[in-house]
Amino acid sequence: MFQFFKNPSFDVVAKRRYAFILSLVIILAGVVSLFVQGLNYGVDFSGGAKLQIEFKNSISAEELRSLFSESGLGHAEIKSSGVNEYMITISADESDESDELLNTALAGVEYEVLQIDKVGPKMGVEMRNNSISAVAIALLLILVYITVRFEFKFAIGAVVALLHDVLVTVAIFSFFQWEFSLPVLAAFLTIVGYSLNDTIVVYDRIRENIKIHKGKALKDVINLSVNQSLSRTVITSLTTFLVVFILAIFGGQVLFGFSIAMVVGIIVGTYSSMFIAAPVLVMWENYFKDKEDKKKKK
Amino acid sequence: MNMEVQSRMSKKLIWRYLLIVVLLAWAVYSLMPTLKFERLTDAQKTELEEEGKLIDLESRIIKRGLDLQGGMHLVLEVNVPDFVKKIAQHQSKAYYDLIEKVDAQYAETPEVDYLNLLLATANSDSIRLSRYFPTSERKTDNKAVIANLQKESEHAVIRAEEIIRNRVDQFGVSEPVIQLVGNKRIIVELAGIDDPQRAKDIIHNTALLEFVLLKDADYTQDVISRIDAAVKRINPDEIALADTAVVSNITSKDAEISVSELLGIDETGMTSADSSVLVDQNLAADKPFSALLRNLGWDIGVPEENYRVVNKILNDSEVKRILPNDLRILFSAHTKAYDSQDGGKVNFYTLYFVNREAGMTGEAVKEAKAELGSVSSEQMGQPIVNVRMNAEGTRTWARLTGANVEKRLAIVLDNKVQMAPRISSKIPNGRTVVEGFASLAEAQDIEIVLKAGALPAPIDIIEERTVGASLGADSIERGVRSMLIGLFLVAIFIIIYYRGAGVIAISTLVLNIFFVLAILASLRATLTLPGIAGLVLTMGMAVDANVLIFERIREEYLKGKTIRSAVDNGYSRAFITIFDANLTTLITALVLWQYGSGPIRGFAVTLFWGIVFNFVSGYFISRTIFTSFTYGKKPLKKLSI
Repeated sequence: MFQFFKNPSFDVVAKRRYAFILSLVIILAGVVSLFVQGLNYGVDFSGGAKLQIEFKNSISAEELRSLFSESGLGHAEIKSSGVNEYMITISADESDESDELLNTALAGVEYEVLQIDKVGPKMGVEMRNNSISAVAIALLLILVYITVRFEFKFAIGAVVALLHDVLVTVAIFSFFQWEFSLPVLAAFLTIVGYSLNDTIVVYDRIRENIKIHKGKALKDVINLSVNQSLSRTVITSLTTFLVVFILAIFGGQVLFGFSIAMVVGIIVGTYSSMFIAAPVLVMWENYFKDKEDKKKKK
Repeated sequence: MNMEVQSRMSKKLIWRYLLIVVLLAWAVYSLMPTLKFERLTDAQKTELEEEGKLIDLESRIIKRGLDLQGGMHLVLEVNVPDFVKKIAQHQSKAYYDLIEKVDAQYAETPEVDYLNLLLATANSDSIRLSRYFPTSERKTDNKAVIANLQKESEHAVIRAEEIIRNRVDQFGVSEPVIQLVGNKRIIVELAGIDDPQRAKDIIHNTALLEFVLLKDADYTQDVISRIDAAVKRINPDEIALADTAVVSNITSKDAEISVSELLGIDETGMTSADSSVLVDQNLAADKPFSALLRNLGWDIGVPEENYRVVNKILNDSEVKRILPNDLRILFSAHTKAYDSQDGGKVNFYTLYFVNREAGMTGEAVKEAKAELGSVSSEQMGQPIVNVRMNAEGTRTWARLTGANVEKRLAIVLDNKVQMAPRISSKIPNGRTVVEGFASLAEAQDIEIVLKAGALPAPIDIIEERTVGASLGADSIERGVRSMLIGLFLVAIFIIIYYRGAGVIAISTLVLNIFFVLAILASLRATLTLPGIAGLVLTMGMAVDANVLIFERIREEYLKGKTIRSAVDNGYSRAFITIFDANLTTLITALVLWQYGSGPIRGFAVTLFWGIVFNFVSGYFISRTIFTSFTYGKKPLKKLSI
């Protein structure tokens, strides 16, 4: 039998402080980054136009830029995306007339438009609002589901872990200024589902072990459960990581945002279900035990 | 005893295998058309099309989303502010003030409903809206007026949908999707089009054809002088600031300007423009608006580079206020080149001063035909549209032309003047020729929109997603390649780690994808690029189910249980975990489906079915196969896991 871990016994609960500190540092850095440079919203959310254009003959970014600024598209962002291929982003203020302006700018140049994504500013605001409510509704439904299937304290732990995942991923996206688009949002929601998947597997073990090992301290039950589900967590994460990593490499420009969000999310999600979701249960328990103890003393 | 358990189990297994065979048969049946279609050559496709069988086959294959086959997805919305302005009557200073205020607020908060904003502003300024928007109903309070406007704009959307459908049908796109969403949006999806720009124009141009009389020269001159005065009054920098590029252009050419050309409209003037372009400094100070215009014989010319500034001045609220209510100022649809004195060419737009009220509109059009002007005619070789009017139109046309002989009449399409000929005599037969097109293709497009009718309200494209066919094909290739590489690597890893059990896991994983594709085909669902990503993710989830089970079996086995009970226990214990874990992802998929648009929905759909079939293949089929080994006639001596 080929095994990664033979009878692992990591004391996850005792080491929770390190995990909390690490997560807090990343999230705080993310918050600072959010305030300083914000999120790099794609046209889906900010409005504007994004065009992928392939030119028949070779043309440099500088040549393109001068063609654009001559015809009133001076603020267009031009990025190379392949051989004679450019990704051009036009902000919402200029995108209204972008069709005409682009025609004048590129008159006499042979090109093929591979892709256009154009979103009106009003639509952008709407999509942002819709997305926020989508994430909120998903989280709420999950909270309800776990409360029904487990106990409320498990639900709290799961949602803390989920918020943690979303915050850390947003932090990383803000930090590296990766574009935040609709597919990335879909990836975020998938991460929420996925990380929960991990969390539930661990919780499931905890629930089972509480029944088997009555009288054992919660802290020990949690450690036991995390260790028992450790190989499964690692193997699953590894395989899922493998497929989305392949997608990030071979999936092309369109799926890159989605895949990279998934790659980050899987790492964060796996970490949080072991080092955040489970220990939060202990903290919750300790907190209420302390209160009860104090009451008894009075 | 042991034999009895075994025979009971094998009965159970027979039923299970039967179910699996049924499922497999269904999947193969669902996927057959797709496989058949993919293997067809173009020649075979045309053959089938002639037999009329292609449409039937196409309806049973997995539909590819626009992002995979190339195409255009548009979200159109009625431009409510423009619609309101279009139907407003008795426009006065108070009306302009009100609209200006509302527009300013709307520009800052575009997500607020425009009509509500109008209501609130009118109420706070105690303006009676019924003055500008008369209703046929008895109630005339502002609320009732707004409710009526709301109703009218909703009607406009419904009519717009019909008209767009007509236009798209005539444009000739296969299987277009045209769909009303809510009460002010229309979604249009066109697959595999070559010229997206042209399709967009046909869909969203209002195509309002109007026949409007021109104002006479004295009147026009008077208005220009008034605009001059108004521009001088308001801070000229205000206009300049927004358009620095063009203004610096003007100043740089200041010295070349002579005064005489800019004095008024000279009807006896020259036939070609002379060289010196733009503005004299003295005139610019005194008559800043005239200084931007040029005299082109019968017409007022606007040099191409002045277009933006002139347009800006004409749309300035101060300027609008001093314009007479019955006047519209329109540009020509295209520029025309004139010889300049130094031998070069200068491009000019023409500026027309016309009646606000149209003498006649495109509703009168019965037939339209685009062609090249015949040899004997004035428009020889030029693209033209021959228009024939209906009975009522013919009468109006005869009256209009008869009463205004020797006057000029502008033929206006979407507020741009195509041509402005002088009426030579009464036209009794209800025919006319529209010229002024850049190409025959443009004339043909106008033919389409004239035949389908004008949109009842201005329509904006608020979202556009266009994917070229080549990128679509590229995306499929990349998606499929990623999936195969992913599958290969996962298979190697899982089989090394779990050996024989790993082989079962990978087979059920492949089955899972197979089932998802089959359900997509039988539900006529659309496969998008994010949908392929969903399939890839499904692979990850399917592996997870097997890993959970195998880890449990190992645990039980290491505790010293028999192979048979280890396997049974492993499966039943892991079930609850798989159920809980997958159900939360199912919730996510449903939320995504509800809130997502287009491609994202494609992701939600494959994720959803991926999870559903995960229970079928990752759990049920995998368990059946595994159990048939453990309960087989020759029981396993060693667990290959």
